[in-house]
Amino acid sequence: MKDQVFFEDVIVGQQIPSLEKKVTTINILMYVSAVWLIDRIHFDQPYAIQRRGLPDVVAPGNMAGDYYAQLLSDWAGEKGEVRKTSFQFRNFMVPGDVLTCGGKVVNKYVGGGKGRVELELWIINQGNVNCVPGKGVVELPMRG
Amino acid sequence: MKESLLESLGWTKYIGSESEMHTGEPVLARDIRRYALAIDDLNPIYFDENAAKKGKYGGLAAPLNYITWAVGVPGSEKPVGELGEDGLATFVGVPDIPNVWDLGWVRGGDELEFFKPVYVNDRVSVKGKIVDMKEKDGKSGKLLFVTSEFTYTNQNGELLAKHRVTMIATPRKE
Repeated sequence: MKDQVFFEDVIVGQQIPSLEKKVTTINILMYVSAVWLIDRIHFDQPYAIQRRGLPDVVAPGNMAGDYYAQLLSDWAGEKGEVRKTSFQFRNFMVPGDVLTCGGKVVNKYVGGGKGRVELELWIINQGNVNCVPGKGVVELPMRG
Repeated sequence: MKESLLESLGWTKYIGSESEMHTGEPVLARDIRRYALAIDDLNPIYFDENAAKKGKYGGLAAPLNYITWAVGVPGSEKPVGELGEDGLATFVGVPDIPNVWDLGWVRGGDELEFFKPVYVNDRVSVKGKIVDMKEKDGKSGKLLFVTSEFTYTNQNGELLAKHRVTMIATPRKE
């Protein structure tokens, strides 16, 4: 098990360990099937390109939220909690993309007896485009 | 006076309007496992009951964002013949507004707050509300921003999460 990160050890400006995600048609199909998201832009390439003017089939935007949830959960560890994520869709995530999901601590404070950390988040593709810029709030345990 | 698109659509009165509460069927271990595979989050707490018991949630729970799917999209399970060209049965995010399809929609952004996890066998309920509508002048005409908030609770009435979705609409090109 990895070491627990504590509120006291966090430095404003530090980056958290990043997470790499590869976008594939298989993952997209798994996702839309698992949640019954029947929308052809996610699985019908001719339709997506010709009828909707998209670059390819596109990953559901929701998956960005999942990537951020995992990025922050992995960092927060067993005793930490992800409290908030927010993000804006700027560029599509398409099959073949290799995404680097990362974050930087921008603020920390104690509120209601709990240590809270605010982060700026990004999902950057292989072309160095930030597809889904975001923010997060994580609650971390305190050494006491 | 500039013409207000929101007023000409007659939508302003829908700010603050709420949808009915929908309750989903019990969440299955299979739902959680397949979802975790789809997002490629291989943490054993989503796959293995023993690992889950020893893990932070004390039992099999879903990856955080699964909450937005735990009820299912109301009205989405229809025969193929009743679906629109793109396969969608209902408009996700903006319930019960007339003429919603007269505009072209894109997802602007999301905001999620997490309070408690969803466990296997939970029955999750959701209630949606339109919290804001705004319009701005864009490069090719008016842009509408419609923000809905979905509140998720479990069978014990405990608050699990809130999800705000902002959809952006532009008049369709003729």
